[in-house]
Formats: sequence, C-alpha cells, structure tokens
Amino acid sequence: MRIDPREPNRTFEANLKGDLKTLNAHLPRRRKSLSELLEEKCPHVECGDGSTHYFKKKELEYLTEILNNKEKQMLLLPIIIEVRSDEGNLTIRSKTGAEAKIFSKILDMPIACKLDVITIFRPQLTVLRKVLKTTTQYAFTI
Amino acid sequence: MSTKVQVTRPTKIELARLKRRLKLATRIQKIVKDRLSILIMEFLQTVKECTSVKEKLLVDFREAYKALSVTTGYHGYAFLEKELLASEMALKINSFTRNVAGVKIPVFEMEDTGTSSARNTLDTSSLVDNSAKLSRECLKTAIELAELQNSLNLLGAEINKVKRVNNALEYIVIPGLDATIKYLTMKFEERDREEVARLKYVKLLIEQREAYAY
Repeated sequence: MRIDPREPNRTFEANLKGDLKTLNAHLPRRRKSLSELLEEKCPHVECGDGSTHYFKKKELEYLTEILNNKEKQMLLLPIIIEVRSDEGNLTIRSKTGAEAKIFSKILDMPIACKLDVITIFRPQLTVLRKVLKTTTQYAFTI
Repeated sequence: MSTKVQVTRPTKIELARLKRRLKLATRIQKIVKDRLSILIMEFLQTVKECTSVKEKLLVDFREAYKALSVTTGYHGYAFLEKELLASEMALKINSFTRNVAGVKIPVFEMEDTGTSSARNTLDTSSLVDNSAKLSRECLKTAIELAELQNSLNLLGAEINKVKRVNNALEYIVIPGLDATIKYLTMKFEERDREEVARLKYVKLLIEQREAYAY
C-alpha cells in the first residue's frame, strides 16, 4: 500500500482496517461434526478467506476415544475459542456439552458449562492447545 | 516522545470525528494486544515443544546408530547393503496447513503407504528389524521437528509484524489523536472565552452609548 506523506494517520487506519478484516478470516465457513470428519480421507474445513484448515487424524482419534457416538455427531469442529478484549477469560460456546467433557478430560478437572458457555483461563488454554492444536481455533471479539 | 498535533480544520465536527477515531483506535489496540499475547503464547509453547523434540531426535539417532553398528558388526557391510537395497519402501508425507490466529502454519503427517518391506525375514536376524524400526522412529521425529521449526519461523515473523502495529498504535496514533483532541478542546475553550469577553465589551459599549444618549 502506498503511504501518503500528507496523511499518514489515514493511510495507517486504512491498513489497520484491512488487518481487522483478516483477523477473523481464518474462521470456518461451516463447521463439520466429528463423525463427518472421521469419514473424510483428508479431514478439513473451508475458511472464510478461502483457505483450508486441516485436522490431524491423531487428534480426531483422541476425541473419538473420549466421546460416545451421539456426542461425535453433535460435536462441531473446530472448537472456537473466543478471545474477548474486555475480559481476561476465554469463552467457548457449547450447546451439546461435549466440549466440556473433552476439556475436563484434558485438564483433569470438572468444567462447568453455564448458559451454553464454557469459561477457561489463560494457563488452561496452554494445556488445551498443546493437545488440541488443529481442532481448536481462536476468534477475536470486542 | 513528542506527539504531533494534526488538524486540518479546527471545527466541532472535526473534534467529534477525532473522538470517534480515538475510541476506535483504542478498541483496535485491545484486539491487537490480545492477538499478540496469543501469538506469543503459541510461540513459547512451540519453542518448548521444539526443544523436547530436538532432544528426542538426538536420543533416537543415538539409539538408531547404536543398533545399526551392532547389526553391521553381526551381519557385515555386504549383507546389510544387500538387505537395505531390498527393503526400500515408498514414503508419503502429507503437507497441510492449519491456522493459528491468522497465521497459516504447515502440518506434516507421515502416511503409512501400506507397502511392506521386501526384506526376507527368514534370512535376517531381529537386529535388522530393530534397526529398521529405530530408523523409522528417527524419520517420524525429524518430520515433527520440521513442522515445529517452520511454525517457529512463521509465528516469529507474525509477532514482529503485530508488535509493530501495536507500537504504532500505542506510541503514535493514540497519543497523536489525544494531543489533537486536547488542542482542539483548548482552542474551543479559548474561543468561548474570547466570545464571552467580546460580548461583555460590546455590552459595555452599548451601555456607554445609551448613557451618553441620555
């Protein structure tokens, strides 16, 4: 982008707006269920920017071990972790409760799902991301 | 650091616009900071993993070479070379991408092609099998390390980029907008004070004129 020396702020703002647009562009257009992904040869989802996000088969197999058949059909992947700028905590929307089951297994502690929302703390995120690298994604919200 | 005041038109509309821009810039900075913290967290985690995988790779190589030297001692070079030629296997590595907070990171996965080695297990000892198994382990670890090293490079570059944006917002854009808003507010206050003084003077003049008229 050409920077106009007369108005550097405006140029910077335009650049920033472009950055903000691409900030959540990596989120999937449509999430797929675990059982649907297990049937695919190369399990993947299409992202908003047109790119493809692949899942590691090992991770999917790990999730299969934790969940039962009904939960496998209900669990949508990737699990979206919402990073809110006004709060220090991170939230995960869960309608089925399968996410809570997975997290409690990984973190080895009970995880509550209040009003379809799971709240986790930053140190817990590190542990989660270590295990679920491709099956979780970040979403930045204000 | 000195902040530069940038005013095109000292008007109330401009002030309102600037206030809106400041609010937006502050919100954007919060998001950028969040993204930066997430990227740094991912980077540090990848560094930790990279270190452990490197150590594992060293151990694996040591074990594999040890096993290979024992096998060579037992069977001899000529026999081992013949066996190696026979045990060629097709290797398939799938390369995908995953997205971490907007950064596309490669994922490498070694696929089992299903072709078994053509080695005759009746002629060879378990030492050859053990060497082959350990070599395969080395390969797996090397692929894992390649993925992590690539991730480190990409995450590092993105962290630098986001840091620059954050610094620009924190030290240039927001202070600049703040200073401009302050300058405009002071200017309007000054203008109001001047207006009041002018009105008072006009009132005084009118009063004096009325006094002289009588």
